[in-house]
Amino acid sequence: MAAWPHWLPLVVFAPLLGAVLTPIVSLRSRHVAPWWALAVMSVTSVAALFLVLRVASEGPFSYLPGGWQPPYGIELRFDEFSAVISVICLIGWLAVLYSLRYIEWLREVPKERIPYYYALLLLNLGGMIGFVVTGDLFNLFVFLEILSLSAYALVAFSGEHIAEMAAFKYLLMGAISSLLVLFSVGIIFGITGSLNMADVATRIGQLDSAAPAALALAMLAIGFMVKAALFPVHIWLPDAHAIAPSPISAVLSGLVVKVGIIGLIRVYQIYYTSGVLDLHTLNQVLVWLGAISIVMGAFFAIFQDDIKLMLAYSTISNVGYIVMGLGLSTNFSVIGGSVHVFNHALIKATLFLAAGALIYRTGYRTLTDLRGIGRSMPLTCIAISIGAISIVGIPPTAGFLCKWYIALGAFEADQPFFGFALIFGALFIFIYYIRMVNAFYFQAPVHPEILEVTEAPLSMLAPTLFLASLCLIMGILGRIPLAFIEPAAARLLAPLGG
Amino acid sequence: MTGRLVTSVMPVAAVFLPLAGVVAGLVLGRISGRARAWGLGAICAATAALTIALIPGVLDGSVYEIYLLRLTPVIWIHLRVDAMGALFAATAALLWLLALVYSVGYMADGHRLGRYYAFFMLCLSWTLGVAYAGNLLTFLIFYELFSILTYPLVVHEETPEAMAAGTKYIIYILMGGSLVLLGVVFTFFLAGDQTLTAGGILNATMDRTSLLVIFWCFIVGFGVKAALVPLHGWVPDAHPAAPAPFSAVLSGVMVAAGSFGIMRVVFQVFGTELLAELGVMPVLAGIAAFTVVFAAVLAVGQDNIKRRLAYSTISQMGYVALGVGLLGAEATIGALVHITNHAFMKGTLFLCAGLLIKRAGIHNVSEMAGAAKRMPVTMAAFALATLGMIGTPPLSGFISKWYLGLGILDADQPLYLAVLLGGALLAAIYLLPIVYAAYFKKPPTIAAEDTGEGAEAPASMLVPTVIASALTLVLGLAATVPGFPYSLARMATEAFFR
Amino acid sequence: MEVTDIRVILAPAISLLCAALVFVAGSNKHWRRFWMLSAATLKLGVVMSMLPGSLQGTVYTWDMIDFTPGIGLAFRADALGMFFAAVSSTLWVITTIYAIGYMTGDEHRVRFFGFFALCVSTTVGLAFAENLLTFFLFYEMLTICTYPLVIHDETPDALKAGRKYLTYTLIGGAFIMVGSVIVYDATGTLSLGHPGILSAELGTRTLLLIFVSLVGGFAVKAAVMPLHGWLPSAMVAPTPVSALLHAVAVVKAGAFGILRTIYNVFGVDLLEEIGFAVPLMWIAAFTILAASLVAIFQDNIKRRLAFSTISQLSYIVLGAALLTPFAATAAIVHIANQAFAKITMFFVAGAIQRTTGKTNVHELAGIGYRMPWTMGAFTVAALSFIGMPLFAGFITKWYLSLGALESGEYWVLAVMIASAMLNAAYFLPIVYLAFFKAPPGTKLRVAEARPTLLISTLVAAAYVIVLGTTAEVPGMPFSLAQAAVHFVFGM
Repeated sequence: MAAWPHWLPLVVFAPLLGAVLTPIVSLRSRHVAPWWALAVMSVTSVAALFLVLRVASEGPFSYLPGGWQPPYGIELRFDEFSAVISVICLIGWLAVLYSLRYIEWLREVPKERIPYYYALLLLNLGGMIGFVVTGDLFNLFVFLEILSLSAYALVAFSGEHIAEMAAFKYLLMGAISSLLVLFSVGIIFGITGSLNMADVATRIGQLDSAAPAALALAMLAIGFMVKAALFPVHIWLPDAHAIAPSPISAVLSGLVVKVGIIGLIRVYQIYYTSGVLDLHTLNQVLVWLGAISIVMGAFFAIFQDDIKLMLAYSTISNVGYIVMGLGLSTNFSVIGGSVHVFNHALIKATLFLAAGALIYRTGYRTLTDLRGIGRSMPLTCIAISIGAISIVGIPPTAGFLCKWYIALGAFEADQPFFGFALIFGALFIFIYYIRMVNAFYFQAPVHPEILEVTEAPLSMLAPTLFLASLCLIMGILGRIPLAFIEPAAARLLAPLGG
Repeated sequence: MTGRLVTSVMPVAAVFLPLAGVVAGLVLGRISGRARAWGLGAICAATAALTIALIPGVLDGSVYEIYLLRLTPVIWIHLRVDAMGALFAATAALLWLLALVYSVGYMADGHRLGRYYAFFMLCLSWTLGVAYAGNLLTFLIFYELFSILTYPLVVHEETPEAMAAGTKYIIYILMGGSLVLLGVVFTFFLAGDQTLTAGGILNATMDRTSLLVIFWCFIVGFGVKAALVPLHGWVPDAHPAAPAPFSAVLSGVMVAAGSFGIMRVVFQVFGTELLAELGVMPVLAGIAAFTVVFAAVLAVGQDNIKRRLAYSTISQMGYVALGVGLLGAEATIGALVHITNHAFMKGTLFLCAGLLIKRAGIHNVSEMAGAAKRMPVTMAAFALATLGMIGTPPLSGFISKWYLGLGILDADQPLYLAVLLGGALLAAIYLLPIVYAAYFKKPPTIAAEDTGEGAEAPASMLVPTVIASALTLVLGLAATVPGFPYSLARMATEAFFR
Repeated sequence: MEVTDIRVILAPAISLLCAALVFVAGSNKHWRRFWMLSAATLKLGVVMSMLPGSLQGTVYTWDMIDFTPGIGLAFRADALGMFFAAVSSTLWVITTIYAIGYMTGDEHRVRFFGFFALCVSTTVGLAFAENLLTFFLFYEMLTICTYPLVIHDETPDALKAGRKYLTYTLIGGAFIMVGSVIVYDATGTLSLGHPGILSAELGTRTLLLIFVSLVGGFAVKAAVMPLHGWLPSAMVAPTPVSALLHAVAVVKAGAFGILRTIYNVFGVDLLEEIGFAVPLMWIAAFTILAASLVAIFQDNIKRRLAFSTISQLSYIVLGAALLTPFAATAAIVHIANQAFAKITMFFVAGAIQRTTGKTNVHELAGIGYRMPWTMGAFTVAALSFIGMPLFAGFITKWYLSLGALESGEYWVLAVMIASAMLNAAYFLPIVYLAFFKAPPGTKLRVAEARPTLLISTLVAAAYVIVLGTTAEVPGMPFSLAQAAVHFVFGM
């Protein structure tokens, strides 16, 4: 089954097509929409599973629609980094399931618009999947736009003014980044005459002048940094992630920012292979920005009382980890960074879904209001606690291994300072998670009625707990993703002669 | 050289019998005071009998020993009865028996008698342990324990003065104990675990500085207990504060345990030859001589009888140290014999002082006038012991002074002869006025009318006092009878000075 | 001889299972007690069943899974680890009995006992950790699991103490992680199964970095000054937790970590060569004295005990830093000696608090009349700390002194003496107040603590004497310490 070649186009087009069809299938009843989305995501997930199995057994492979050879036809390329679609599908599927009750509950959302919510969600997921599996720069941009636009819409979906403002801010920053990406794609096409990434990589290497390539590189890097919400271009993220409906927050924080990371990896793949530029400067910039993001993200988070805002800021810190891992450009650090793309998605989704459950049951969203909730919603709070421990990187949870590997990388790269920054930055993060745990378990409730609430419905609780358990399992079985990503990291760094 | 080694449980029995007394005292005390008195009296008598029963064998040249318990991998708790130990043990057990019988009357209306008797017996047990210790660690164990366990007895009255004295006591003793520990550890480090035998454990091949350090650790450590002059501070406070029977034991045996320790160190850790080579003994002798005179001078100025007796103890222990410091056979015999002789003389004096307090309310020398009329037997015993202290022949005090004098002449140190005589003269100055006042001064009229005749104590207190004072005479008259102190001292000394 | 044996993971697993059972099915008092007691006993049995083999030199191992490529979640019960495990599992039984009595009527008992069991589980995991990563894993888990216990009372004070605890220990943990990373980067292994894995070729700078990170990190939990700040604050926790912190698990984990670092990561030969242990020695000596000095002035009993713990733990550090076999013996056995004596004292403090409501030293006048057995136990522990022969503390003092002589660091002897004096200065007044300061007026009747509290206190005190007198009886943990020393020094 895994060898069936058409899984690759299927995994991209199923959600996109599903998205388009959602309003149609739910014409008669809006209640069909979530089940339809669930079905679509199920199919996509099956496809993703086979793809991941295939890449694990035979390494990267391509799909050429219509048999056109690159650089002339478009190419879908599936390598180990693309395996991130597995978490996209997983979290997407769980987010849909979770939305089943959550969206109905949002009073601001007109009931008849709910099918569009699922359509946008599918579109967003499809865009992301497309983004990570495409082998073609222009398609990269197209998918980026699909996922970005749907993301703006999802942020604004509740229709509240504040949501629209957040979405607008997101849109402004997103538009700038899209433009930068588009320009650089144009430049690259201009200087190489090709859009296929593998092809571009070889052609850039044969150029006389490196200047345009460098300009393109800079624009691409900045563009993706905005998407990844790296400090100081993170300003759009906290509002957008905090204000979006919780399942969307999970998708945005867990997945959409990772698109920026995957974008950066793609840029690296092109430029390392071409060897035309010394990426040392870029690496240093990324490492520094990563370190600053870790600290600043944590720093801002400390002062938040709104639980989702806090989680949003912690995303910035974690993106900092990953970017630092990439920037250090050693075997260990790249492995660590890449695996954290997966793990952070799981962890942050856990946290956002659990936070959503708390908000869903109590209507409160600040830590002060939520005091004492640990007694009435123990399972959800356990999930949050596990997530908190993971994100700080206490062994044996999922967050630990990445920290370990990135820190190892820092020492391997002989830049121990960043190892320190990483490890101590993580402590900083813990400060606010401990506030959360304190509020849930150890402080007297501000609102006595909070002790009366019950656990969220199963459709919300089950995804949360499932993800929480994954946070633990991925920590204990951490060697599996690490081993999986290792060849890809080795290939990425091979041109460096390491 | 060491004679026949005989493995025997006798020493263990002697040490453990009083321990049984502790339990018996607590249990019997529940029933009645009488039961306890008889029970403890029997046990104490049995203990004394045991220690005395060992003497003939020792004189025969047997060395009873037993290995009890391996405390740390290289060191056993080892009990071993040699001549010196047998002498000290017998002295202690006898004096204890007398003090115990005396206590029954003296403490009859006292408080917390259970505690008093328990610790009283406990102290006897550990003192016998000190006497029979076969190696330094065993010695240390018993020495430290009995030092600490003395504390509840010192503060037994729980008056503020007693508490202050107790605090002072514990500080001095712990300091001393630590230094002893240091010496023991250092010795063990240099020489390993070795039985205490004549000739010493250490030898001249070892580092001279280390040897000196060990020596002074021991001397200062034991010197605290033996009340060598700059280290004597606790003695004048502790004695008046403690109950009289315990003061007797404290002065007669406990302080002597320090001197006993010094002897063990000088003769059995270092050995006479090594010490002669090190040349430290004149210093010790000098300190001792100073102690003799200095403490005696201070004693003259004391009005409180027990305090005066306490200074006298310091002075008398100086004799013992002087005898050791001279490093000659005769002087050593004098020192050893003086421990025993002094124990009974000072025991008598303290017991008498207790009677004066208890029956006539006399605390101070200035209140003594006419006491002999009211308490003829008591004052007779007091007078006998006084004469013994001064060194009047044929009392026991004379025997020890005689041998000390011989030793001084042997060592060709005429200055110390002056010290010896001066000490005796001072003893006369500070003790005789008490006797004089008791017999020849007219009592103040009011007191005489008040109490009139017949303040004499009941037999239970009077008999031990009289026995103790009689021993002063017996030990003097029959000094050379085999089995009496002189024979044992000579036997021990012959081994030391081969 | 190495044997693969399931018991190595069975021991931590029992506590873990117990924690799970308490959380899931522990709301009924009787069931909860049943789980706690049977698990504690069972675990003690499992650990003790390994003891005979361990004494004969058998090392039990169990590799679970590869945690990351190359570094496994692996367990290995060598002599040193067995020693620590035996101590902590014995104490678990005693503490459980005590805690059952102490916590009666408290809210949140399920949470309390659940996390309690978790802590003990991680402690044994830590004792048996085969490599630094596994060690670190349990070390951090211990930090996290202790937190709910520290803030159990949920008062603002407790929360503050908890925050302080976490801040200190997590920073320490971060240092340990840095150290581990560098070790792995430098040597490619993290195994703790050798007498040292580093070599002088790594260069002084790297070695120094490793030393500072690892020892500095562990020193936080071991409460070496000036990293001790959390410990006195954490005494707001319920008494069984203090016992856990001070004796069974937390501080011991730190001290144990230092031992592992010195003996199994660096190795004594290397440290001798590079001389890093010397400043550590000074710091430990300073801590011993300074903490004792501070303790004298504490009126709150538990606070005084906390500073005493700080002082006592540095005995272990000092012993390790002296780098001689005798000193190493002292360091290892002091894990047990300090644990039993200190747990006795905390039990006493708790029993007094629960029975009479008194928490300050000056209120203790005459308490010995009222609770003679309890205060008797306290006296035993106090004598042990002062280093009286026949009590556990003496063994430490003896070997540490020998070690100091062996290494030629004579000044350590002076420190030992001063410390014994200071210990006397802050423990004996308590004894004195209790027994000799008769309360004015009314005669107090004997009113001991409830049996669960009393019995566990007395058992702990009895252990202090047993450890002090029977060190050399075959099969006692002492021989494990000897075996560990032989391994470390290649004897």
